[in-house]
Amino acid sequence: MGTATRLMGLSCLLSFSVLAQAAPKPADPVTGEASAPAAAPNDGGVGNVTAATATGSGAAPVAGPAPAPKKIDPKLFDDALNDYFAGRPREAAPKLFEYTEGVPSTDENYAWAQYFLARSLIELKLFHGGAVYLARIARERTNPAVLTKALEELQLLTDRPHDEVMIDEQVFGALDLGFLPAEVAGYAHYQQGLVDLRVGNERWASTHFSKLPEGGTEASRAKYAMLVTRLKQAKKDLPKEMIEQFFELAKDEKLTQDARNDAMLAVARLRYELGDFPGALEAYNLVKLPSLDPGRAALYLEEAWTRYQLGQVHAAMGLLTTLDAPTFREEFLPDKFLLKALIYRDLCHYLPAKRSAKELTRRYSDSLEAVRERDDLTRDPRLLRAASARGSTRRARQFLESVELEAELLGRFAGTFGERMFGYMTRVYDLSRAEGVRVYQQRLTESVRVEADKLLRAAEQVRLMEYEVGLKLYERVKKGSKLVALLEEEALKPNQVSFKFADEYWNDELRTYRFSLKSRCIEETAR
Amino acid sequence: MRHLRSSTTALTVAALLCSGAALAQTQELENPGVTSAIQDRPYRMQHELDLWVGVLPLDAFYVGVYTQISYVYHFSDRFAWQVGRGAYGLAARTPLRGELERTFGVQPTANDEVQFFVGSDVMWKPLYGKLAVLNRAVIHGEVHLLGGATLFRFTNSGFRPGINIGGGGRIFLNRYVSFRLDLTHNIVIPTGGGTTSFSNVMTANFALALNFGGND
Repeated sequence: MGTATRLMGLSCLLSFSVLAQAAPKPADPVTGEASAPAAAPNDGGVGNVTAATATGSGAAPVAGPAPAPKKIDPKLFDDALNDYFAGRPREAAPKLFEYTEGVPSTDENYAWAQYFLARSLIELKLFHGGAVYLARIARERTNPAVLTKALEELQLLTDRPHDEVMIDEQVFGALDLGFLPAEVAGYAHYQQGLVDLRVGNERWASTHFSKLPEGGTEASRAKYAMLVTRLKQAKKDLPKEMIEQFFELAKDEKLTQDARNDAMLAVARLRYELGDFPGALEAYNLVKLPSLDPGRAALYLEEAWTRYQLGQVHAAMGLLTTLDAPTFREEFLPDKFLLKALIYRDLCHYLPAKRSAKELTRRYSDSLEAVRERDDLTRDPRLLRAASARGSTRRARQFLESVELEAELLGRFAGTFGERMFGYMTRVYDLSRAEGVRVYQQRLTESVRVEADKLLRAAEQVRLMEYEVGLKLYERVKKGSKLVALLEEEALKPNQVSFKFADEYWNDELRTYRFSLKSRCIEETAR
Repeated sequence: MRHLRSSTTALTVAALLCSGAALAQTQELENPGVTSAIQDRPYRMQHELDLWVGVLPLDAFYVGVYTQISYVYHFSDRFAWQVGRGAYGLAARTPLRGELERTFGVQPTANDEVQFFVGSDVMWKPLYGKLAVLNRAVIHGEVHLLGGATLFRFTNSGFRPGINIGGGGRIFLNRYVSFRLDLTHNIVIPTGGGTTSFSNVMTANFALALNFGGND
């Protein structure tokens, strides 16, 4: 694998994992700040939601229900709250909706009604619907006490697939931070810093990050984001001190285990790029997986390359066995076949080497054909799967799936919610789905091209390998040549136990497979 | 004719053998090598202290219930020496004995009951493995064989030695705690107490095993 390829993969992977949290912005999100006049009879918020969700997609704005001035009994709010606190969000939601529809936004309970409506929807697993109302509270800011709570709820929702434009950019990315409590302000600073980083304004990002409380989770995440950005910028000369900085982050208990693993992977990748293969292997070994977690295919493949570079071909081949596990069968790893062919070649098993090389072109023949024919690559199932499994495209897909699921779930509440609320919520979900599809397709088009490029490069290298192996296969062997075993297998230690692999994958064994094969190299041809 | 038939048979056998060998060779060429999962043993024993409860189920007139304590030193992952074990039991009379006493007025004074016993064994642990629990967890365990000697104290015949053979299994809970289930059979030698025949004492027992060292 060429250094350039690795480097590109490294920066891509890292950038996917962090920066994409503030995801690429769709065409032109409408800010949604221009909401309905405060004291005007409420239009059901459809206008606002339309602004928030139809982010420049060209989706037709949905006309809100005709304003129907109606006297709202203040007791309706109390009834709704009683229902909510009695654990009946299904009954509370339509009452709260009716209340928010019928009172002006200057009403003292208006923001609270929106908040509890959002909570009710979230409890009914209509997370996006809840988020829409919380985002409205954040935009309208009619009640500071409710605003803080709404932001806290929104922050929790960001752990799930969510509308990144609406929450990350339009709410947290655009907040006036002066009046916020420390925890929410920290998160908002972090999000705003990420947005700045994404548009290439590191100085502004630093200003935001410098306001994060030292020792907090956001501060650690911000450090990681900054490091990744610098790494992306330093494509040719890898700064060595960054390894130490990533290493420190990998030990930071305030980060999630996933984030620490990402930092450790960054250490491993940087060391690999610098040719420090033992150091890279040490870092890969320090990536901690939860018990019986199958782990990540990229981790195994990278470790396999590192071990190959260290001459540990048997362990490298073992890791390639891991990548054949059912968990990873759908992974798009064209490199795997190339590495397998290289290992067989190094052990002078030329037929299997040739077969492994051919396996790539055989398995991905349809995708390669699609690339050559300049077909629509998003229609190729393998490329589509690969492209939508990573980074911002993955998150867009997850959000779209969750919106579709929730839209289906909404149908169950048709009777309970009443015609008006159900119609309104249906339109909200339809718009979000349309926007979700647009964003997903936009990101997919970009990422599928990256995957196709990766496939083409691997196919090219495989063709070279086939040629090389073909030459070796018919090489003449001199009389009296002796077998040499340059690549020794590691002996079993007393504290180790060996389970022979019989096509049955155990999750606890995935990192421990070792391949045993005698070298058939003879003196003249040995590497 | 007979000659022709034997030649055909020989030819067929040779063809089959050759094709089998060729097939094996092709397999070897296409899929060379063997893959194994090489893992560090997560649980290794060294000084083992066991707290047992057990039964002596074989006698028709009583069931001995006993508690036992033992110490085992593990030389390696394969061999260990159960240095000492000592048990004290209580006899729970079976319905058969009660019926004999009530119905027939029989006083089975000749019934020899085990009071206590001590012994020592060597352990061979040839099997070590793991089990998937509902595809959600993995538990490790091992199977061992036992061979040793036991000195019994009987109510009537006093002290009598026996040869002990058996086996058992262990399930590891963590590095320090495991559960052990053993089943052993003692052939008690007729010495002392006027006994003239061999007798058999079977033990079935369950232990909480505490391990010290071994994993360091």
